[in-house]
Amino acid sequence: MAATELPVEFDRSDATPRAVRGLAGSIVAAALALPGVIATVVPATAMAEQAPEQGVVALKYLNYRESQPGLKRIAVDAPSLYLLAPIGAHWSLEGSAVHDDVSGASPRYYSDVSGASVMHDQRNAGDLKVTRYFERSAIGLAASVSNEHDYRSRALSLDARFSSADNNTSWNTGLGVTNDRIDPVNRKVVNEKRRTTDLLLGLTQAWSAQDLVQANLTLGFGRGYFSDPYKMYDERPRKRNTGALLLRWNHRGENWPGTLRSSYRLYQDSFGVRAHTTEAAWVQPLGSAFTLMPLLRYHTQRAADFYYDPSTTAGTYPGPDVWTSTMSTDQRLSAFGALTWGARLDWKISPRWSADLKFERYEQRSGWRLGGNGSPGIAPFTANWLQVGLSSTF
Amino acid sequence: MHCEQVESDGDTVIEFSAMASVCKIRLAGVDAATARAWAEQAIAEVRRIEITYSRYRGDSIVSRINAAAGSGKAVALDAETADLLGFADQLWRASDGLFDITSGVLRRAWDFRSQRLPSQAELDVLLPLIGWGEVAWSREAIALPRPGMQLDFGGFGKEYAADRAAGLLQALGARSGIVNLGGDLRVLGPQPDGSPWRIAIAHPREPGGLIASLPVSQGALATSGDYERSMVVDGRRYCHLLHPRRGWPVSHWQAISVLAPACLAAGALTTIAMLKEGGAEAFLREQGVSWLAVDAQGRVSRVDPSQ
Repeated sequence: MAATELPVEFDRSDATPRAVRGLAGSIVAAALALPGVIATVVPATAMAEQAPEQGVVALKYLNYRESQPGLKRIAVDAPSLYLLAPIGAHWSLEGSAVHDDVSGASPRYYSDVSGASVMHDQRNAGDLKVTRYFERSAIGLAASVSNEHDYRSRALSLDARFSSADNNTSWNTGLGVTNDRIDPVNRKVVNEKRRTTDLLLGLTQAWSAQDLVQANLTLGFGRGYFSDPYKMYDERPRKRNTGALLLRWNHRGENWPGTLRSSYRLYQDSFGVRAHTTEAAWVQPLGSAFTLMPLLRYHTQRAADFYYDPSTTAGTYPGPDVWTSTMSTDQRLSAFGALTWGARLDWKISPRWSADLKFERYEQRSGWRLGGNGSPGIAPFTANWLQVGLSSTF
Repeated sequence: MHCEQVESDGDTVIEFSAMASVCKIRLAGVDAATARAWAEQAIAEVRRIEITYSRYRGDSIVSRINAAAGSGKAVALDAETADLLGFADQLWRASDGLFDITSGVLRRAWDFRSQRLPSQAELDVLLPLIGWGEVAWSREAIALPRPGMQLDFGGFGKEYAADRAAGLLQALGARSGIVNLGGDLRVLGPQPDGSPWRIAIAHPREPGGLIASLPVSQGALATSGDYERSMVVDGRRYCHLLHPRRGWPVSHWQAISVLAPACLAAGALTTIAMLKEGGAEAFLREQGVSWLAVDAQGRVSRVDPSQ
């Protein structure tokens, strides 16, 4: 079953446009958006392209729990494996695999359910990337698959990075195509399809010895089935174009050990959603073995044009008061504000081994929107992520 | 272990796991602290019943009765167990022997996780061990006549626990809420504003999906379905509802839900109706309860005798 969605699309504009966006996909997308769960390594520093000298193997375990009063409660456990292997002096091969186990959910609109109602879904996903390194550039080709019993996604992407002669500037560009097939168990639609083409253009500049700035523009062109077959009265346009601009500034302390990582992201799509996301994180070394990174992120967005507020009129509940050709009550498309806070602790156990622990809490409320009113009638939504990881070089 | 949350409408919902199911107690119209204190007592009662009638505990009354099967020795009964056996006896009579608490022995041949069908020979060995009518019992003592015979309260233990928990909550003062033990529900009273609860019925073929909903202000709603514990072998579904004389699963209905004043009644009626196959409608009509059935083709029929 796949009637679950996370409330926002997480910022993955710094990865290659290899988006795996599902319906169920939500959790998927959330898991994928986590650094290291399925990694597409794009260095965040402007530096010469070099083939990796060492291989990396990493094992991560993600636990995700969301809650919203009375609506649904989803739990996800996802172990994942990541492998990077240098091949000769100019090639590298990266691969990762993740397995999600999703359980728990209660329905909207009803106080309870009679009958054995166990929601259980599993997803298997993996990707493989080959990169060829040249003196000042690198070209990568990646493929990924994701399978659930009612949803299948296949993606292919190509990306290229170039550095200037002084290594202070680097450009990156990427092109990705994702084909999704949606075959919900309720047969609301049969064998529906969706194709998304993503384009990425990016520039990273070392401003000074302490400052690094980056600008990324991502454009997406999607056609096909975007509705959620598991939601009642959910009819979305068959076309969705997206644009996102990400600006980053990393500042390393001159007189103090530590780095500030800040970013701002503007997102707009043809559904009418416009979102602003700002983030600040502080990287603090603690002795020689530990690094602590606290993080704070704020997101605010306006609703999609066809989003309608849940009706309180008894006669139409839970349908809309006025029927239109496109409509949705998906809270991801509503107007809201959201805060994420968390921290990540990295532990360099030995030159070869390292471990990390990450916790993030997401809280979404209508009243937290800036520059307008939030959508009424939506209960606060919270989600927690806990991830542990262990990695080794070889 | 259980978790608790207060909803936006003020209801307190406590989720816990018991009797191998997800269970939920919803209490409305009281503050969270009171709701929590009440729910803890109700959960303790559910656990007491779970332990008392567990087949997996060697010292439970059920295990002692089963262990003495065929020995000629009678096992003494307490009042609560005698009441439950009396209820089971009534169900057996009202169902022409279809509801039989000695039929659990068929589990030895049916393993729904194995994807393997039992042979007729395996079933033929077990069928002579089924027969509540041959059990010698009174309110004081019981003796199973043949070695290998066993009693199983699984057919109504959960429903009984839901009723007991609800009764306890009502005695404590609860007037609005729902006790849900793995999909068998007992309503404590309407919502605080007097309106009925909107209770959905699980879709028998779409995990997580819903097929219908019913407004319920009081009483109990139980659903029996061929999807709960089942396996599909060669395109055919075999469910846990086994005919006590044939030893094979019934397949006439995908699911039947019954609305009755108590969960014990609702649960027993849905099980018997499933086992009655083509005779379910006539049986339920006789019982005068509201019900909703999904037939083998997925068609929904609904009968409310008050309308």
